[in-house]
Amino acid sequence: MKFLPTVAEVLRQITKTPATNIFPAKYLPPSITGFLRSVGEGKASIHPPIGTPPKFRGKITYDRDTCTGCKLCIRVCPANAIEFLPETKRVRIYVTQCVFCSQCNDACPTGSLVMSDEFLLATEDRYAEEMIVE
Amino acid sequence: MITLIDLLMIVVGTIFVAGFGIVAGLCIFGIDRKFAAHMQARIGPPIRQPFIDVMKLLCKDSVIPENAVPSIFNWAPVVALASSIVILLYLPLGSIMPVLGGLSGGYGDLILVMYLLTVPALAMVAGGFASGSPYATVGSQREMVTMMAYEFPLAVVIIAIAWRLSMAGMAEPFSLATIAGLTTGVPIWGVVGPVGILGCIILMVVLAWVTPAEVSRVPCDTPEAETELCGGLLVEYSGRNLAMFYLAQAVKTVAMASLAVAIFLPWNISWYVAMPAPAAVVVDFIFYLVKVVVVVFFSVSLIRVSMARFRINHLVTIYWGYLAGLGIIGLLLIMLDAFIKGGIVI
Amino acid sequence: MSEGAGKKATYNLPIGPIHPALKEPILFTFKMDGEVIQEVDFAPGKAHRGVEWMGMRRNPVQIVHLTDRICGICGVSHSLAFARTVEQIAEIEVPERAHYVRTIIQEFERIQSHILWAGVAAHELGFDTLFYLAWRVREESLDVIEYLTGNRVNYGIIQIGGVRRDFTSDQFPRIEASLKYYEDLLGKLLNLFLDDKSIGLRCRQCGVLSRDDALRLCTVGPTARASGLNMDVRQDSPYAAYGDLDVRAVLPDQYLSGTNGDVYDRIVVRLLEVPQSIGIIRQCLDQMPPGEVLWETKYAKILATCKKAVGEAVGRVEAPRGECLHYVRMDGNSNPHTWKVKASTYSNQMAWLKILQGEQIADIPIIIASIDPCMSCTDRVAIVREDGTDVLTKEDLTRLSVEKTRRLMQ
Repeated sequence: MKFLPTVAEVLRQITKTPATNIFPAKYLPPSITGFLRSVGEGKASIHPPIGTPPKFRGKITYDRDTCTGCKLCIRVCPANAIEFLPETKRVRIYVTQCVFCSQCNDACPTGSLVMSDEFLLATEDRYAEEMIVE
Repeated sequence: MITLIDLLMIVVGTIFVAGFGIVAGLCIFGIDRKFAAHMQARIGPPIRQPFIDVMKLLCKDSVIPENAVPSIFNWAPVVALASSIVILLYLPLGSIMPVLGGLSGGYGDLILVMYLLTVPALAMVAGGFASGSPYATVGSQREMVTMMAYEFPLAVVIIAIAWRLSMAGMAEPFSLATIAGLTTGVPIWGVVGPVGILGCIILMVVLAWVTPAEVSRVPCDTPEAETELCGGLLVEYSGRNLAMFYLAQAVKTVAMASLAVAIFLPWNISWYVAMPAPAAVVVDFIFYLVKVVVVVFFSVSLIRVSMARFRINHLVTIYWGYLAGLGIIGLLLIMLDAFIKGGIVI
Repeated sequence: MSEGAGKKATYNLPIGPIHPALKEPILFTFKMDGEVIQEVDFAPGKAHRGVEWMGMRRNPVQIVHLTDRICGICGVSHSLAFARTVEQIAEIEVPERAHYVRTIIQEFERIQSHILWAGVAAHELGFDTLFYLAWRVREESLDVIEYLTGNRVNYGIIQIGGVRRDFTSDQFPRIEASLKYYEDLLGKLLNLFLDDKSIGLRCRQCGVLSRDDALRLCTVGPTARASGLNMDVRQDSPYAAYGDLDVRAVLPDQYLSGTNGDVYDRIVVRLLEVPQSIGIIRQCLDQMPPGEVLWETKYAKILATCKKAVGEAVGRVEAPRGECLHYVRMDGNSNPHTWKVKASTYSNQMAWLKILQGEQIADIPIIIASIDPCMSCTDRVAIVREDGTDVLTKEDLTRLSVEKTRRLMQ
């Protein structure tokens, strides 16, 4: 088919494995929360997400022991996601505000801030406990 | 003339055919979506997805726009669905005789089917004009143009086949029971010679190309054109009304595929393998369903994934120019065949 | 259908602000005669987010990551243009290797942007198979970008005075594999898009922008090149490492027999820029000099240098959609005094009025998409007034521009 080159292409593709990433399940379950609950109970299995590359920028981790309270991270954060706590001279990071540029990691003179591999961060509560790192 | 038993049979048959048409139509849509998805290297929705969609639509409110004409707006989907089901009543399903228009003394033939095929489209046009939206109006205008475009090639195909059958001396050549070989056991392919077979193949291709226009799928979904008219003549429809249009399209797809099966792929397994009558009906019916799926794959799924949408003026050029021309070549070949076989008397 | 056009009443067809034909909000109003467009008007400004306002309350080191968010597709172009302005003002010498890293990432961005556009164009034509195919093969460039920078969309790799991550030689095989993948794929893409009759039927002689109009309307990037204008910032005023490389503007007559300036030519130009980008990345990998990638690794010093800087500068970059221009004025405060972003769509959008004229409804989506519009790049102004007047005349705009320039001159 010279006029319609796609015909040959689609007929080739029909036998191949689809490219769709079947995360978290092949078909939409009737209830997502119900599905996740049964996954949690071990009754259903979740199709794992694709792995992350090295030096991926996921949820931030903070080592408050090595932090010196120099506030440089606050000055370079484009999203103003980092708050200074004057009484302890430490910082608090709001992950829901974070834009994952990891600039604070580069700026931190003591290496107290590091990005982890965690990326399943969807939440309904901006101020949930796991969304605030301190 | 009509006894009470006959009438009762027709009523029961109609209910069964309506149920079958809707279920089969939605299954065909599901299968078509699955085929299309795999051709596009996707997994696609599960085959039951059209049922879920219809259920969801039936649960939703039907919004009637402020400047719509409510009576026409609400009646159009009913007419579309009803007329789509009526088409099925005239078509043989496997070796099951049509509910209406079966043996001699039937109520209609292929010509009636051709007219009935336009009714769902006309209902959509009426509904579109009644919506009072510029998108729907443009969609309705396009649907009318599309209808005019594909009617001619379709008519050529039907006339050519019926004419050849009548030349072969068959009674009631326009009756679908005759065309499908249910009464004679001989389909069109058995009637014609080598030249006629070539003509029939050409006509089959023409019918395969009329199908996407008839059921308005890509490349002929210009009246609905999602990216230009965001649904065109269906743009204002929602809830129950939209569900009915959806069902009407599903049933119409089955009807178009059944028509193609009846004309060009009418073989039944029971013709070749001896088996008891009830088993034959079931086996033939399953075989018929397989044929419908094959027809839908080639004339709907494959075409819709491998082409861009036509502009309305291209659509008219292609259907009036190329396909009608192709149809006439087929018709001439079939006439030639009749001459060669000596079956013509002027 | 055009028969009796004089007798038929025209009607108005609104498209937008939200419509399947548009990937971003903008309002088009068409005066239609049957299926034919008589008059076109459009109203941008629906995607204004106040990015410049946010920028003027941040220091350059913060802004450089804010610029990633101006556009979801060509993030690095905006960052690069902005970084170049600040580097000029603060007289920062960018290390040679950083230039090459910037070039590589910009070319990968171009590959993914053009393939993304090709998919969108196919979808606008109702050709969903090619849309799925294009977006599937685009994954490869996103994967390689994620591998190199750590992010898939907002790369966050540009820094004032260099780049934040070096591309080490052990990463080269992955880059090379990706280039090979696209090289092998290219023949198929060209065949599927350009040899397809149904695409040709829809795109040839559709949305024609003549060379003169392209010049008069100041179009940029692939839109201008498809009309036969030999212009490309990478070739005309090289930045980053482009001066050392062999870069020539891709014109449609390199593939076709002539230049028509229609939608088909725009597809040709964008698809042919993919192999061009592959070639540029190859040259970069071969010629990459050793050394640092950031002039100063201590952020406190970068911040201090930016704070001391006084002056104004313009940074030009060839984004996938065309020239992207940033103007920055620093006055010795940590935050810039003025920051002005002019995205490529801003230059290209006036071409719509010309190319939509006299076309059919069916072609509206593909013609609008053919200049690869990015409204969130473009929308820099929103007028909020209590009396509800939001239309400014030419005189109003001239007066406002003069006033703004006076303010800047002070």
